[in-house]
Amino acid sequence: MKKRSLWKTLILFAVLGIISLFFLIPLIWVVASALRPASPLYEYANPLTWKSFIPAEPTLENFVHIFVNLNFGRALMNSLFVSVSTIFLTVLVASMAGFALAKFEFRGKAALFTIVLITFMVPFESIVIPLYILIKQLRIDNTYWALILPGVANGLAIFLFRQFFSEVPSEIMEAARIDGASWFRIYWRIVLPLSVPAIVTVIVMVFMFQWNSLFWPLVATHSSRFEVVQVAIAAHRSTENTSWANLFSSAIAGSLPPVILFLFLQKYFVRGISGTGLKG
Amino acid sequence: MFRNNKVAWLFVLPALTFLLVFKIWPIGVSVIESLTMTSFTGTKSFVGFENYEYLFKHDPVFWKSFSVTLFYSIIVNPLIVLTSLLMALLLNSSHFFTKFFRTVFFLPAAISFAVVSVIWMIVLDPYNGLANSFLTMFGFKPQPFFASPDQALWGLILLNVWRSSGYWMMYFIAGLQNIPETLYEAAEIDGASTLKKTFKITLPLLTRTISFVLVANTAFNFLSFAPVYIITKGGPMGSTNLLMYESYKSAFVNLDMGRASAITTILLGIILVFSFFELRFTRARFEY
Repeated sequence: MKKRSLWKTLILFAVLGIISLFFLIPLIWVVASALRPASPLYEYANPLTWKSFIPAEPTLENFVHIFVNLNFGRALMNSLFVSVSTIFLTVLVASMAGFALAKFEFRGKAALFTIVLITFMVPFESIVIPLYILIKQLRIDNTYWALILPGVANGLAIFLFRQFFSEVPSEIMEAARIDGASWFRIYWRIVLPLSVPAIVTVIVMVFMFQWNSLFWPLVATHSSRFEVVQVAIAAHRSTENTSWANLFSSAIAGSLPPVILFLFLQKYFVRGISGTGLKG
Repeated sequence: MFRNNKVAWLFVLPALTFLLVFKIWPIGVSVIESLTMTSFTGTKSFVGFENYEYLFKHDPVFWKSFSVTLFYSIIVNPLIVLTSLLMALLLNSSHFFTKFFRTVFFLPAAISFAVVSVIWMIVLDPYNGLANSFLTMFGFKPQPFFASPDQALWGLILLNVWRSSGYWMMYFIAGLQNIPETLYEAAEIDGASTLKKTFKITLPLLTRTISFVLVANTAFNFLSFAPVYIITKGGPMGSTNLLMYESYKSAFVNLDMGRASAITTILLGIILVFSFFELRFTRARFEY
């Protein structure tokens, strides 16, 4: 019996190992290629040797090039600024609404909750064209506002906060009320500090959304001043003469922040997933 | 629950404003815009359902794009549900290596679709791609992939499976952890095989997760944009011209907002219809 289960474990390990090759080989190859001098980038693809996956003379010159000559740092800073601003506004706005929805009974609550649900059912991509018309009318096209504000309208974040606050006992708030604290103070001093897990979940969610978005920034801005990471990466491709070295190295540099975030905050990714009201 | 209309509304007002301005309003505009036409001089006029009529009756590019999108969706959605479910089942046992593989499988989902597109564009490059190196190494003929109208869409499907399977796998893992251990113990006493346990306990109890993943994934894939924009630009010969990209081209290349809005509205309609049938189907099949 014992022996059989050891075999089972080994087979399972082998199967998982083979599947993970499918996920890892393209990644390793791209990283290895970016670490080679720009000219012979493709030389090692065919025929395959160990050199295809491990650069013989690794160099960072491609990365230096995109940062020094192509101003890729600017795109990184733009994305960082947009992401952080969106996160800040979303956490504030969504947690306030989530607090009211979780702890208050008020006129119009059902209608409001329906709006929240609708907005997270309708995917962002499907309203890109009317959004573009809107930001043009508001005269905020081609600004940071255009990149930040639509991202703040996040029904899912409101929903996550509401779910989380429902678990916070009302007694603490009642006690604070009796002590004469204002509702805003209760929210700011008691409710928000208790909701760190929910906040981190929303931060991760919003960051991934903003950092990885391509379609909306492409539509909403056109000056290089506002170029965000994904647009900068895609721009290396759109020219007839694609520079593979630039493409590879910007793709890797642009992916490091979310990948690092994922490796360190893995459990919050999963929490965001299971917190969407999804059970069994 | 506290009762205080004024305070509650003050707390929800900022969020409500954002939702109304940047979500609800655009949804309305989308529908209205699809009923208008912009002339060469830039004046807009109300044309009723003319945009839709034209699309369905006289627009072969739309039809081609429509059928490509449907085909893509019908293949890619069940495929991703299948792969992610399988991966979750394989990782459901707890061994010392489970966590490592979970991280590896999820890793592509942390990377943006733009970067994933860049990666697969070069992996599937007809001349210098990694995939062809492997094929020739094992004695197969090199393939054209994105350069061929017969293969390009399959390239996008493969790309999507690679990027999304690990993400949806996490949902299934969360679902699997909610299934009480006692059910399996009881089944083991009765001498049930692993296969039987999977089909009689795991899958039926995972119904809600399966239908959620299927529906969410469907909506998501109908709106695929980045891979088409970066790799194929809709080609070769319109074989990868998904509706989202066609709508983008219509709006921002040909500056025909009416047609573009009509396409996205149709797309939203298709998503709703698909979601409805998927919910019905998965409920009907698995409810016990």
